[in-house]
Amino acid sequence: MTRKHRSVHRALWPALALAVALGLGLALFLRPPAPVDAPRAASESPR
Amino acid sequence: MSVGFQAVQWNRAKLVYDGILLAAVAFYIAAFMGVGISLHPPKSQPEWIDLRIRAFGTCAFLMLTIILSIGPLCRLDRRFLPLLYNRRHFGVLIFFVALVHALSMVQWFYVQDAMPSLVTELMNMPAYGKFIGFPFKTLGIAALLILLLMAATSHDYWLNLLGPPVWKALHMAVYVAYGLVVLHVALGALQTNRHPLIPVMLASSLLIVATLHLLAGWRERAVDRGGGVDSESWLAVGPPSSIPDKGAKIVAAPGGERIAVYRDGRQIGALTNLCAHQNGPLGEGRIIDGLVTCPWHGYQYRLEDGCAPPPFTEKLVTYRVRVKGGGIEVDPRPLPPGTPAAITLPPEQS
Repeated sequence: MTRKHRSVHRALWPALALAVALGLGLALFLRPPAPVDAPRAASESPR
Repeated sequence: MSVGFQAVQWNRAKLVYDGILLAAVAFYIAAFMGVGISLHPPKSQPEWIDLRIRAFGTCAFLMLTIILSIGPLCRLDRRFLPLLYNRRHFGVLIFFVALVHALSMVQWFYVQDAMPSLVTELMNMPAYGKFIGFPFKTLGIAALLILLLMAATSHDYWLNLLGPPVWKALHMAVYVAYGLVVLHVALGALQTNRHPLIPVMLASSLLIVATLHLLAGWRERAVDRGGGVDSESWLAVGPPSSIPDKGAKIVAAPGGERIAVYRDGRQIGALTNLCAHQNGPLGEGRIIDGLVTCPWHGYQYRLEDGCAPPPFTEKLVTYRVRVKGGGIEVDPRPLPPGTPAAITLPPEQS
């Protein structure tokens, strides 16, 4: 990689990793509590 | 190597690589489906499709994790270099695996006459203002479009047309695609499926990829810091014995661009560290059959003048080298591509 690519890479990675880690952490923290003994509905939208 | 643009050149190494890759994907999908069927036997067509969605989705995610780890792994340990050789086919296969995941999702809605629900979900504008409840399928579609763009431009035709720097910059979009996929799963499956493997898979993937990149980046910084004081000063490389025979030592010019100082017996030569093909790290290669060989795809150059051997036409920037006080020094001012600049050490200095 050229020096410019390396510079972009070094700036992009930590920022992206932090943003994604933050998003993942928030998604885990804010997810709704599990329904008690509720089996997965057949009509539930697939992921 | 190439003589201008040529169609894809298959060779045994590529066929073996692709064969292993396809077999691994087929094994993973079969194993996932097999375990899924044994644990929760699907009772209806939508449940079968749901299982396929999960099998291909997790496969694409794991493949994306692996492909993003290949680059830093190769920097940290040369034994991983064979993985890098045909990385483009790996990337194209990720797109197709992700495409099956996406098409299966559409089929899931179709077989239940629920296509309007899918459209409503994607067009639910107020939901785009939320975090939990964000239409996560949009994130997956955006990632799929990036993977499509990268797969479509992965061919050498586009590499030649755009030039290695632009092509490389374009393909850095894979990092954005990875981030979108993590959030796609975090705001999708993670919200409704309580299986502990989902957060474990996401967190460990992110941890592995980020740690490898940080480690490789940290190691690279040491090389870049070793630059000379100004563009006029010759750079000290060290005694000839500090350069491995048939290998190179990388030094950084004051501007930061790297120079690969190769030794082939008593011959010492300095070339740019950028391979003409994909700007691969030439200094991490070896001398094979008397030619400097790029570790990424085997492009070869003569040490004496940086030219690819006939009939190939690539030429690299070279640098002057000299011996001073028993040590090798490099002039950081680049010479025009293809300029002979290597020196031969007298027997007592080699």
